[in-house]
Amino acid sequence: MLSQLARLFRGNRELSTFTICVVLSFTLMALPPSAKDAVSHILATPLRPFKSLKTMGDELAGVRDENQALRRMAARLMDEKRALIEYKHENDRLRELMSFLVSFPEEEHLALLPAKVIGMPGVRTIETIEIDRGSLDGISAGRAVLVPDGLVGKVVRVQADRAQVEPLASAASAVSVTIERSRVRGVVKARYGGPGGLLSWEIDYVPARSDVEPGDLVVTSGLGGVFPPGLTVGTVQSIEEGPLTMRVRLALAVDFSTVEQVFVVTGTRASLPGRSEAEERLLRELERSQVTPRDDEYGADRGTEQTGDQGTSPDAAGEQPGGELGDEETE
Amino acid sequence: MRGGTFAALAAAAVILDATVASEITILGARPDFLVLVIVYGSLLMGGRAAISAAFIMGIFADSQMPEYLGLNALALSIVAYATAGVWEHLVKTNVMVQCAVILVATLLRDFIYYLIYYRNHMDMFFDFLLRHGIIGAVYTAAFGVLVYAAARLRGWRAIAGGNQW
Repeated sequence: MLSQLARLFRGNRELSTFTICVVLSFTLMALPPSAKDAVSHILATPLRPFKSLKTMGDELAGVRDENQALRRMAARLMDEKRALIEYKHENDRLRELMSFLVSFPEEEHLALLPAKVIGMPGVRTIETIEIDRGSLDGISAGRAVLVPDGLVGKVVRVQADRAQVEPLASAASAVSVTIERSRVRGVVKARYGGPGGLLSWEIDYVPARSDVEPGDLVVTSGLGGVFPPGLTVGTVQSIEEGPLTMRVRLALAVDFSTVEQVFVVTGTRASLPGRSEAEERLLRELERSQVTPRDDEYGADRGTEQTGDQGTSPDAAGEQPGGELGDEETE
Repeated sequence: MRGGTFAALAAAAVILDATVASEITILGARPDFLVLVIVYGSLLMGGRAAISAAFIMGIFADSQMPEYLGLNALALSIVAYATAGVWEHLVKTNVMVQCAVILVATLLRDFIYYLIYYRNHMDMFFDFLLRHGIIGAVYTAAFGVLVYAAARLRGWRAIAGGNQW
């Protein structure tokens, strides 16, 4: 039997090679795991550089793709950052305007229409400010224009969809003002000098030895009939005593060159038929939450204003015992 | 073909199998460069050289998976022996015959390999053989067309016969 097998293998070299390979294969398969690991480690050594090369290639390709993706992301983020900065500025501006609207003194009873500045034609100084509201929005000439910082000027020309505002900085402008602390009155006018440049704003017609000090707040007096009283105009910068009058220099509260959003006074609340829907809703919510409105906001003052049947809602009238209070104040 | 050229081709096949083969898969199946070399090795170099080369290539391929050391060597040795026996009965220079031999050889290798690999999970064996084995075999056989085309261009009579482009 063995001799027959030996003859067979001797005559067929392919078979003998194959048999040896099969036997070796099974021997390798039967090795203990540690021996298999050792043999595999030795056999894998010549392949390792090629595998490392491939890994490097894969990593390089990955890095290139990642680099391109990061570049795209960086460009997108830069765009987003620019947009966010723009939004932030806009948000800050609107927040300021909102706080202005909320904190506006109730006793002024002003109905304000927001408007956007769309132009500032002028050569050396700001002669006109153009806004995006016109007669279609209920604006008429002579209306006061203000910002949270103070008075801007008044509407002088009105078109259907836009209007021109004459700012305080204009040479033609003249505003009747009061020193808030001492109630001394005067008229603010721009003083030009030098090679055509704007020098300063001064308050004319202030009698000598009046009670005026640097730093005093200057507000509109309301006497001219154009501007409502109490709007901030600026602060007293310096004073010079003269024989008959004082020379009072003024620092305006508003920087006209940076104004972007303004409010046009379209009327007084007293002239309106009643509270706006928003005001009514706010009052109802306040009543429901049993929060007592501050006297200076919705209490006494409202009572005063609406004793004269300005269409006060029954709720509000009932809440304000204040018929009496109103009467007192009216008196 | 000289022995050195064959050895170089075998080494290249092992390197390609360990590096780029997994990058050029089609439907999850990869070409079997080792079988390709064995089939043409047995055609050009004879059975003994092909079986020896198959065993050596097999243990190098096994080094990537130490747990099954010897499995590829066994499967490829069987494939080489079978292929060497089959060539004697076929028209060696026919491209269709070459592709068919590559296809069957690849399937045989997968069959042996996965039969032992999944010996305790026969359902997975059939599933894997049907889903990846057949596609991989067709994919590898397609390389036979490329080899035949190259042989005709280069005038390798042992593969492409007397015809030359």
